[in-house]
Amino acid sequence: MARNKFDIDETLETPFDIRHFARALKYVGRYKKQVVTAMIVSVTAAVIGLCSPLITQYALDVTIPAGDRRGVLLLSGLLLLSIIAGICFSVLSSRIMTKAGQNMIYDIRRDLFEHLQKLPFEYYDSRPHGKILTRVINYVNSVADLLSNGLITFVLEIFNIIFIMIFMFAVSPRLAPVVLAGVPFFAAFMIAIKKAQRRAWQRVSNKSSNLNAYLHEGLVGVSITRSFVREEENEEIFDRLAVEYRKAWMRAIYFSQAVWPVADIISICVSSAIYLVGLMIVAPEAGITVGTIVAMTGYAGRFWQPIMNLSQLYNTFVNTIAYLERIFETMDEPVTVTDKENAAEMPEIKGDVSFKNVTFAYEEGANVLENLSFDVKAGQSIALVGPTGAGKTTIVNLISRFYNVNGGQVLIDGKDITDFTLKSLRSQMGIMLQDSVIFSGTIKENILYGRPGATDEEVRQACHVVGADEFINEMPGGFDTEVNERGASLSQGQRQMIAFARTILADPKILVLDEATSSIDAKTERFIQSGIDHLLHGRTSFIIAHRLSTIRSCDKIMYISEKGISECGTHDELMEKKGLYYKLCMAQSV
Amino acid sequence: MFQIKWLWKNLEGYRAVYICALIMTVIRQSMYIITPHYSSRIVDEYIYGEAAAENLAANPKGLIWLVAAMIGFTVLRTIITYTSGLCYEKASQGIVYRVRNHLFANVQRQDSEFFDKNRTGDLMTRISGDLDMVRHTIAWIIKAILECIVLYTASVFFFFSIDWLMALCMMALTPVIFAITMRLRKVMGPKYVVQREKLSGLNTAAEENISGNRVVKAFAREDFEQDKFDKLNKEYSDANKTTSLTWLKYYPFIEITAQGLAVVQLLAGGLFVIGGRITVGEYTAFSGLIWTMSNPMRMLGSIINDLERFVASLNKIIEIYYASPLITDRADAAEHPERLRGEIEFKNVSFSYDKKNPVLKSISFKIAPGETVAIMGPTGSGKTTLVNMISRTYDPDEGRILADGIDLRMMKLHELRRNIGEAQQDVLLFSDTIEGNIAFGRSDMPEEEVYKFAGLAAADGFIKETSDGYDTIIGERGVGLSGGQKQRISLARALAVRPAVLILDDTTSAVDMETERYIQNSLENLDFECTKIIIAQRISSAKNADKIIILKDGKIADIGTHKELTEREGYYKEVYDLQK
Repeated sequence: MARNKFDIDETLETPFDIRHFARALKYVGRYKKQVVTAMIVSVTAAVIGLCSPLITQYALDVTIPAGDRRGVLLLSGLLLLSIIAGICFSVLSSRIMTKAGQNMIYDIRRDLFEHLQKLPFEYYDSRPHGKILTRVINYVNSVADLLSNGLITFVLEIFNIIFIMIFMFAVSPRLAPVVLAGVPFFAAFMIAIKKAQRRAWQRVSNKSSNLNAYLHEGLVGVSITRSFVREEENEEIFDRLAVEYRKAWMRAIYFSQAVWPVADIISICVSSAIYLVGLMIVAPEAGITVGTIVAMTGYAGRFWQPIMNLSQLYNTFVNTIAYLERIFETMDEPVTVTDKENAAEMPEIKGDVSFKNVTFAYEEGANVLENLSFDVKAGQSIALVGPTGAGKTTIVNLISRFYNVNGGQVLIDGKDITDFTLKSLRSQMGIMLQDSVIFSGTIKENILYGRPGATDEEVRQACHVVGADEFINEMPGGFDTEVNERGASLSQGQRQMIAFARTILADPKILVLDEATSSIDAKTERFIQSGIDHLLHGRTSFIIAHRLSTIRSCDKIMYISEKGISECGTHDELMEKKGLYYKLCMAQSV
Repeated sequence: MFQIKWLWKNLEGYRAVYICALIMTVIRQSMYIITPHYSSRIVDEYIYGEAAAENLAANPKGLIWLVAAMIGFTVLRTIITYTSGLCYEKASQGIVYRVRNHLFANVQRQDSEFFDKNRTGDLMTRISGDLDMVRHTIAWIIKAILECIVLYTASVFFFFSIDWLMALCMMALTPVIFAITMRLRKVMGPKYVVQREKLSGLNTAAEENISGNRVVKAFAREDFEQDKFDKLNKEYSDANKTTSLTWLKYYPFIEITAQGLAVVQLLAGGLFVIGGRITVGEYTAFSGLIWTMSNPMRMLGSIINDLERFVASLNKIIEIYYASPLITDRADAAEHPERLRGEIEFKNVSFSYDKKNPVLKSISFKIAPGETVAIMGPTGSGKTTLVNMISRTYDPDEGRILADGIDLRMMKLHELRRNIGEAQQDVLLFSDTIEGNIAFGRSDMPEEEVYKFAGLAAADGFIKETSDGYDTIIGERGVGLSGGQKQRISLARALAVRPAVLILDDTTSAVDMETERYIQNSLENLDFECTKIIIAQRISSAKNADKIIILKDGKIADIGTHKELTEREGYYKEVYDLQK
């Protein structure tokens, strides 16, 4: 699989697609009622806003010349009322849209996260985690502004433009086209920069993703950096990525910042044209009054304001689309391992496991397993041994269907596992992985991860079985001690014990232990062994280990080499055979 | 004030650009006030004025000149706008770049205590989201403040030049705005603190979910994770709503006050015109410039709002900007540029993480240069802590650690650590090529050396079988590789720095016996002198060591060779019997 690293830009699979926008609108659509209400309310506010100039104009034209003091007082009151009414409406609209907009962002983020939960290992393995994180947090935040305010601004400004056009044509059908003449110039400019602008913003999103990815790995790997005295070199790399980001940003800004000045110039040209055309050409013959000309320049200003606002909105839009594309791309990432359409719930597992001619490859053409077949009876414990990289972990991963097989079948209780839902399958399995991931939270929460409903007594019991209760009780807060992702407070062995307790608590029908005890000392391991022996009773278990003491007691030992299963049998049988397993044991005996 | 000083300090290198931008802003704002002058002259001289018709007939060129001046002025103004816009961006990107690099560098230099306290997701929030508020402050807030000041001052000046009483009436509303925004400041601050806390929480949850995706799937806990995330997502969303809605509570009052200027103008101005205090022309002059006063008033609200947000973010940045690690070069640390011989001595070393429960108690031992020492002991007995102290990940509470007879604290950190090659227990690889990972400690290493060290670590074979060989990019933390493969790359990485002291913390636990034997053989035949300290669980990993230290509950329970230890009762013998 083609993996991405921090300094490689992620190429975008799909070209710009208006459907991205349509898809974003779907999120808006869920709040149709609120959005429509907000629009109506803000249009009302805009209409009320139109009253103010009428009032002041009336005062100037009629009331003041007439010296009507009471009239001035009355009009002032009216003006204040109209202002207050306008503000009330616009605040109301903002309130509605704030809530709706935040809900939309919530929805997008939830959907994105939900999809991420479904994505297979490959997805996570093939790119820096910081890049995924950037999408969930930063990109979604970047979209917020457009969704919550963009639509309203758009509709409002369109209304504004229409209103003003009506006014303009009503006042002077001959001068109105002069105002409109500026529009094509502006449109031409926007179209001219569109492509470059879009590419520039995509670059920005890429570079920020790269920077964040490196930052993330830098934080996660800080102990390695320290130990290898790599600080300065890391800073250089970070600096390089930061410079690239800054360059990309400045480039995008060249375009975005140009929009407003261009609109400004065109707008002033239009005003000038009205003066010139109005005064020198049209007015004398067509009987256009000076009042009309003044009014028209006023309208020209008011006509261009919404157009400039719209162009600003368009800027945000182009910028945001670069992020939206990424978000939707992630949402479209194929879920390769998923429930079949009519997948059934896996009934309670008895524990027979069979591989039938299983072929599997992580990357096409490089088969890790080829035509692998074996049968395990319910309740048996199987040790998988053999050289590293031969595919032991792969085999156990296939039982939990972390990957789909390329050929053949994996059967549990004689039934193909792909016929059942992933959840019903995995929730009956207990898998202890090589990495002992600890989530930040208390020790108890970490163990409860295996089965949230478990009682304190059950948690204690599980810890006792793996020999973890002793050190947990010695900790300052006992089971309620806060631990975190990479805190120093737990040793690797202790982390493994917690992860082990978590697996045991899940009360699995099939147990998979992948190097579960490699960091635990031999004596504790022996203790655990005796503890889980009775636990294993009645459960099928797969154990990957290098330590003989762990392996010996298993019902069946499979020696996995690059060719598949080379040897299979009990410890005694294989020792007698004097083959690969025998060699392995001999190498280990000291 | 501290905030401004801090910004100024970090603007270094961009101060000139920034000041230029600010000056341009002042010029631009002044031009905004001057442009209407031309249009009013056009109106006065050619449209409304008494001599308008004659002027138009007699001097049409004058009109064209006026129009040309108006356009020219606008073009000039837009050029200034554009240039100053770019200057703002340059300066704000400059400061963010500088601060970001500093934060990254400083975070990297923190000790373990810092990372125990700060979660990855939270640090990410500070270095991305919070930092963006710094950008916003430089690129927008300060600019807006300046614009407001210029406009407001100009408008006051203009108004007074027309009529002082009218000007005073117009200014009467300004204190109201100040009163409202002062209230606003108090209310918004805490809300933004909450909002960014929620973002940090969301970031942390997402980060841990992504990093732990395998465990999530293994336990089929997607629903649980979704619920957890939904809750935090909701909280963040609610916090956003709360800040916006609180702002919207104050916004109407600000807006009414700002727009109320028009009412004041109509009322006071109207009465003054009727009373003959001012002319209609003066009245229209007021109405033409009313925005120069109302806009700054209106803006003040958003400025204060954003400033509060900036302060909330800056406090978070400052925390890590000025964070200083406890473990650092001492002022009196001497230079030791030459390679260490590799003699390590612990003298009565005691240590605890929390200053309460000792992890190591009075540890004393000495390792001669070139020796191989194995450390064994039960889980949690302090083995990893002990070896971590050699690279000064922690300093002892009591006692001393010496390398070549020099107290570690008297050495420069980077000189000490350059002498140590460590393969940690929790193998952390980077999403880089395999070659890049092996050459992590010495990135100028020639390719052949990479191959050589991979060979010594028994990694060459499987690396060659991967799709792109040494150029294969491995996933974050080395996902996609088996445990044993990761351990071997990590070993190659540690060997590649040709350390004087090699520390292997359980590095072969996931490696099969045959490979382990191969690795042991290569370690014995390194072409550079090297003290080896090996933490192991397996007898096979320890038995060939010159010395085996048994650690129990933070104390040395026994020291001896394999032969000696198997001849007496104790932990080693028990383990030996178990693994026989």
